[in-house]
Amino acid sequence: MNEITMASPPLGPTAPVSEILLAGIAIRIELPPSLHWLAIERYEAIRKHIEREGSPLHDKVVWFYPQGSMAIKATIKSRRRQDGYDIDIVIELLLPVTITPAQILDLLYEAIKGEKGSIYYDMVERQTRCVTVYYADGMHLDVTPSILLDENDPRRSHIFHAKLEEPTTAHKRVVMNSWAFCEHFNRALPPDLLFEQAYAKRARDGMKVLADAEVKPVPAHSTMEGGKSAAVVGLQLLKRNRNMRYAKRVGVRMPPSVMMAKFAADCQLPTGTICGALEVISGAMLSALLAAEMRNELVDVRNPTCNEDCFTDRWPENRAAQQTYISDLKLFRQQLHALMNGALGLDEMQELLIEMFGEGPARSAVEEQARMLGRAVETGVRGIGVTGRVIPAAVIASPSIITSAMAKPRAHTFYGERWPKK
Amino acid sequence: MRTLAQQIHSMKRNWPSFETVEMNADHVVWFGDLEGIQKPYRVMVEYGLPKNLLTDPLFRQFPQVRVLSPPLRPNFEAAEEAPLPHVYFDKEDLPNSVLCLFDPRALEWSSDHFIALTTIPWTCDWLASYEGWLATGRWFAGGRHATPQVERVS
Repeated sequence: MNEITMASPPLGPTAPVSEILLAGIAIRIELPPSLHWLAIERYEAIRKHIEREGSPLHDKVVWFYPQGSMAIKATIKSRRRQDGYDIDIVIELLLPVTITPAQILDLLYEAIKGEKGSIYYDMVERQTRCVTVYYADGMHLDVTPSILLDENDPRRSHIFHAKLEEPTTAHKRVVMNSWAFCEHFNRALPPDLLFEQAYAKRARDGMKVLADAEVKPVPAHSTMEGGKSAAVVGLQLLKRNRNMRYAKRVGVRMPPSVMMAKFAADCQLPTGTICGALEVISGAMLSALLAAEMRNELVDVRNPTCNEDCFTDRWPENRAAQQTYISDLKLFRQQLHALMNGALGLDEMQELLIEMFGEGPARSAVEEQARMLGRAVETGVRGIGVTGRVIPAAVIASPSIITSAMAKPRAHTFYGERWPKK
Repeated sequence: MRTLAQQIHSMKRNWPSFETVEMNADHVVWFGDLEGIQKPYRVMVEYGLPKNLLTDPLFRQFPQVRVLSPPLRPNFEAAEEAPLPHVYFDKEDLPNSVLCLFDPRALEWSSDHFIALTTIPWTCDWLASYEGWLATGRWFAGGRHATPQVERVS
């Protein structure tokens, strides 16, 4: 297995190639800051719209906050552009506790939809637990109504489940505290400054290499906002892998992101590497699912800040669903170990990464690495490690990695014949 | 000109994992492992002291490097440098082709240079760039060719 040593800062030139490629993929699947800011603008606009004079919820909104991936900086793009992406918002309302699930969802629906001719009139859809606002560019804003249960236990709330085609007897209240969970997650996995800086630098350098190649301006990136740790990046990659696996399973519910986030927050991650985070988080999830299987049960994962909040209340629906994700995780871990063992060539790693995270980001990250290495070789700004590894940087690493004689070998120009064209 | 003993000593010092598998008074062959990016490749380096500049075989003109394993993988569909980048083609056995690591016209190598400090690190450069080429079909490490690209009219 590759090891990162003190001489090898996170994602630096001597970091394992698998680590660099995983960072490259994660950088490509994140929601860019322009879309992040747009989402914030839009949810502010929705809030004002719901609170407007004449709205059925005028003066009833207590709190309006993001939940899920946006609140823990783990939002990723969808695999296909046309699938758009979800932003999850909770709207805490001051309403009588006797209100029924269907009533509160219908009320929120009316408040957002507004009068005919209103901005959101044709963009809104009532769901089982939320109201979705669809934007023409593919963004969806899921607004989930809630009522606070106990003002001494901030944000522990009821949300409401009322499927339109189900009888009202099947409607229910569900306890949740996503606010406290996001706080817990962010406390458990604080930004790792060393990793964050290295990750942001790689994002800038990598985007510049590709932008130079394509003569395009350097795109902005979410790493500009900071706040990253290897665990959050690992979580984003695991979500991407899950989305890949489930893309062809039509009508099948996916393992919930919040369950994955809970396992990530529970893990002790001493290594500060993406590979390490993936290994530990996927291992923890697999262990929990296998343990449930051994007991002939479905996995039961709870919000550590609110035990009544069950993250797995809608998935897995049955043992088959549980077994499907167990198989996915086993495959993922096999692929991860193959990536980490150092025996694969760049082309073989590319094939694996395509299977794990999709063609676009995998090919782009590999091309970036090939370009960086090629440029380093052509310009001579590289050293040669004791095992022969080309280290694309002018820096002199530890003598255990690179000898002084190999720090900057003599310049040369590749030569040779051309194959005759027919 | 460096003597063969000097070359062998320098190889032992800088690349201790390389073994001398054949040696006589004016000719030596080494086998050794190099990474390039991270995958290990076994290579063969053959070198002989120059005797007669006009009639010497190639290995007496400069060190010849071949990749033994895993064998080179020609790709006739590659966008650049098909079917193998920067080699002297062995048309009977393409994976056995000798790597072209320097421009002889620019006098980038001479028998005054140590193989350990030139040919071997250049081989590492080639292997790293070759892996990039295998993955992308493109060669990003620069270079020249002995002959310009000419469309052959059939």
